[in-house]
Amino acid sequence: MKLSLFLLCLFAGSAFGQLAWATTEQTFNSKPQDKEVVAKYKFTNNGTKPIKIQNVRTSCGCTTAALSKTDYAPGESGEIEARFTFSGRTGKQEKAIMVATSANPEQPTVLKLHVYIEETVKIEPEVVLWQVGEQPDPKVIHIAIANDASVKLVSVTSDNPAMKVKLTEVKPGKEYEAQITPESVGQPAAATLVIQTDYPPDNPQTKYAYARIK
Amino acid sequence: MGPTVRQASLILLAALVPASLTAAFHPRRPVWSQETLAPGEEMLPTVLAWGANALWVDARTADEYETEHVPGAISLNLENWDQLFPKFLDAWTREKKVVVYCSAATCELSREVAERLRKSGISSVYVLKGGWEAWKNRK
Repeated sequence: MKLSLFLLCLFAGSAFGQLAWATTEQTFNSKPQDKEVVAKYKFTNNGTKPIKIQNVRTSCGCTTAALSKTDYAPGESGEIEARFTFSGRTGKQEKAIMVATSANPEQPTVLKLHVYIEETVKIEPEVVLWQVGEQPDPKVIHIAIANDASVKLVSVTSDNPAMKVKLTEVKPGKEYEAQITPESVGQPAAATLVIQTDYPPDNPQTKYAYARIK
Repeated sequence: MGPTVRQASLILLAALVPASLTAAFHPRRPVWSQETLAPGEEMLPTVLAWGANALWVDARTADEYETEHVPGAISLNLENWDQLFPKFLDAWTREKKVVVYCSAATCELSREVAERLRKSGISSVYVLKGGWEAWKNRK
């Protein structure tokens, strides 16, 4: 009897009148050419009363969540479509969609979207720096092409003739080193390194790295 | 112990379990103290004390930046990184502490921009706790 009372108190808040979700967490691995992922979160009103979806919020402006209607009768199913636009993001991403319903407006359900966005061309470091007055020693930027990407590095050029760049292929077609050497570090200077690829063929991607004497 | 006390204890215990789980894992749980900071975060009074040593970075959208921003702040977001990052580099020096903000405590853009800056080799990068809202509501 006491145990029943305990369990009743423990689960009373979550057992009744909630939406039942097929899954609250989804994981995607994006391909180099992808610009967004779309995830669908299906749910059913398993309760005995109608449920209204009052509010759907996302953790990032890069993610939108669409819902075809807001009111669901007992037994009725629906789905929320979350669209995450990459906009320059790379690596491991975690976005959240918060869904508040009339059944439990203060405790929204949190839907999670995990996406790994592969970096087609990885540049490390993105910036090389010299202090004014230090030795004008060369500095190296590593450029790596993702293993399954059919991307070729076409060229690496400097927009400042006083900062020369020399490109070396370390692993054919996959790894390169761009060595940047300033003529002098007597005064502040800047250069942008333009890293030209051949992919995608209709609008080849250009990446950038930066050199600064400060 | 009387039955009333036992029942009350049982109910309290039953309430304590979900309350503890909510406090530990709920994504929007209230902070216990305004002084609670995530790694790399700073409170507005600390940042204001840095004065001219702080380089403000506005991670919101271009429209929001154009409407209003912290005086002297530089616009830098992931959407237009290639266009905006060179301007940031021109303003940045090694001595500066970089303070990134977005619209509010719940937005992620400032954390994302701060992470990208650190990855690019920029040191001393902080996220303003409370973001633009904290700045607007300063006393």
